[in-house]
Amino acid sequence: MIRRIWRVLPGPTAVRVVQATILTVLFLIVLNSFYDWLGTVLIDQGGTVG
Amino acid sequence: MTETLTSTELELPAQPAANSTSMQFVHNLGWTFVYLGVLTLGFVVHQLYITTWFAQQNQPELAAERVEQWAATEISEVVVGSADVAPDEPGVLSGATGDTGDGVRSEPLILQIESAPDDGAAFALIRIPKIEALQDGWNVVEGVSSQDLRNGAGHMPNTALPGQPGNAVISGHRTTWGQPFRELDALDPGDRIEVDTALGTHIYEVKEIRIVKPTDVWVADPREGAWLTLTTCNPEFSARERLVIAAELVFGPNADVIEVLS
Repeated sequence: MIRRIWRVLPGPTAVRVVQATILTVLFLIVLNSFYDWLGTVLIDQGGTVG
Repeated sequence: MTETLTSTELELPAQPAANSTSMQFVHNLGWTFVYLGVLTLGFVVHQLYITTWFAQQNQPELAAERVEQWAATEISEVVVGSADVAPDEPGVLSGATGDTGDGVRSEPLILQIESAPDDGAAFALIRIPKIEALQDGWNVVEGVSSQDLRNGAGHMPNTALPGQPGNAVISGHRTTWGQPFRELDALDPGDRIEVDTALGTHIYEVKEIRIVKPTDVWVADPREGAWLTLTTCNPEFSARERLVIAAELVFGPNADVIEVLS
């Protein structure tokens, strides 16, 4: 899948690297938010009541 | 005589289309499980290790913030009543004494009150000698929003401050974000909980241990005397219930006054 995304990216290699870096950072931010949300719902809400 | 066939000459029997499609489906399904496995593993690592790493990295900064907060805290004294003290009794209560004529002194009961901490600021240190992870203390911030609790433990606003009359409620993570309350279930009645604030060290003794629903807000209701209520998720790795530890103040700057008042 990663190779497929790499092939789809337009432009020369340098531009592709920049695009891939931006996409990776965005993916990690979204993934972190998703993990935070899932962890709060399923595992640990910080022990708060109410 | 051996005849060599090239790849173009060698005609393999054509695979049925349906077989090819099902193989592709199995191939894709396999990779889907691989991705799901990696995502699940990432979730576990994120929750158990990455959040805890961040919370622990914040502790030195929070400790410095707590010291600053203590320096900025205003402590006021409020006369909340008076108590008669026999001539041969030591004056355990704060304040000036006045002789009532028969040798019995009347002492004013003076409660020391500290100003409310800033939202999100570290203002207290909680220590539980029985729990190894809390023997050196864990910083407590003001507030219990998800952002506040990323530091591990937070004081519920609108409840008493530790060492003050009423019910001081501190909530903390059990599995993630430093997991300061992970071993809270190891506490038994009679165990000590110490909380440092700008006023000094307040020592509480565990009296009640309960498992309640997350919606049972009554555990945070004000109480007569001075209480500390610790709440955390229960069981470990689940947010289904709350483990609630209620401890009563037994020693500290206000302990004697509050005992006489109640």
